Amino acid sequence: MSRQRQIAVLVEHYQNPRHQGVLEGADVAMPGGNADCGGSVVIYLKAGEEGGIRSLSFTGQGDIISQAATSLILEQVLNDGLTMDEVLALDYDAFVDNVGREAVGSRTRNATLGLSTLKSAVRKYRKEMLLADPVGEPSPNGG
Amino acid sequence: MCARIADMLGEERAMEQEITAKGYAHPEALVTTQWVAEHLEDTENFRIVESDEDVLLYDIGHIPNAVKIDWVEDLNDPILRDYLDPEHFAELMSEKGITPETKVVFYGDKNNWWATYALWVFQLFGHENVVVMDGGRKKWEAEGRPMTQEVPSFPRADYPIPERDDAKIRAFKQNVEKHLEKRGPLVDVRSPGEYSGELLHMPDYPQEGALRGGHIPGAANVPWARAVREDDGSFKSAGELREIYEGEAGLSEGEDVIAYCRIGERSSHTWFVLKYLLGYENVRNYDGSWTEWGNAVRAPIER
Repeated sequence: MSRQRQIAVLVEHYQNPRHQGVLEGADVAMPGGNADCGGSVVIYLKAGEEGGIRSLSFTGQGDIISQAATSLILEQVLNDGLTMDEVLALDYDAFVDNVGREAVGSRTRNATLGLSTLKSAVRKYRKEMLLADPVGEPSPNGG
Repeated sequence: MCARIADMLGEERAMEQEITAKGYAHPEALVTTQWVAEHLEDTENFRIVESDEDVLLYDIGHIPNAVKIDWVEDLNDPILRDYLDPEHFAELMSEKGITPETKVVFYGDKNNWWATYALWVFQLFGHENVVVMDGGRKKWEAEGRPMTQEVPSFPRADYPIPERDDAKIRAFKQNVEKHLEKRGPLVDVRSPGEYSGELLHMPDYPQEGALRGGHIPGAANVPWARAVREDDGSFKSAGELREIYEGEAGLSEGEDVIAYCRIGERSSHTWFVLKYLLGYENVRNYDGSWTEWGNAVRAPIER
């Protein structure tokens, strides 16, 4: 994909973000980034059964790369039906390649803001589940 | 012909008046959007440079004949945590068709935050023929002025390798320590949350943060964006700026002032305001800023 094509995809996602907005009934709302530098997002996660993800959304503000790449990763996770384990296993370099390394340049942290915050949301969810259920009883969501 | 020249001179004067009416110490450091619009084609004498936080903005549209200079890609040495060396600066200038005589007109997003940063770096190399387009990209776009995706190409220039002088406008940690000993004025231009220490870590971004929250002892807090008007992104008048920096923060013109933020980018904006708009002779930007001071062993802080 040419650099111009990469930019066109990012701009399209920036102007028409997927899964944007507050997710009512989310199990976790996880903030990430810095609005004063690159961008900030909040990832909302609702867990599914057996370690799955039922729904995701995000809110945020910042540059084109950070906001568009967040839209891209949420779309990818939901379209592919990735589990929480699969989200945690996602590789940052591979994701930057998908977004478009030529367009991203050295702003790789902006490009991975959404993914890193999503991973943090998964970890936060699991930690909260563990604290709520320290003996390992199955939770209603199986997460 | 004479009437046209007279008209043009009249327009120039009107534009100058728009800036001079704000009462700045150095009104020549700013140009209006209208002035830029009327000098787009004079690429022999001027070079318009866009510097943004949002690195893709230039690609989706910029002022005709503007070139892009990106702090991260062009002005930064990430290995040394320093700015580019004189050889690379000369190469960058030559590549952009800039000579030592070229007047460089900076503009950018975020109220010219990154434009003033680029301008500050240019001055480390003694390129002092620099101005900022008041209001930046925000004002230019709001006025419906032309934008293009066409990347201009200019004949390569022959920019001699300059000497870099950091001492006048850049402060290092040891300079700040000496400044503290004599209780010199400091201005912390971060948000109130960062200044108070309430905001510290950013999830999954420990490398961007600091181990401690707070501020350098005695620093006044004036968030950088207070220097601009919210409606059009242009700088506030000298009177309004004095009220903020002198009335509220207690700075005064004859003092040696050091400004800082997180990595020195926001504070370059305040440096520009103090130096050019209010005429402070001795202002330095501490680019190590909180990512250095907040992590430094035994560096005193306040919360």
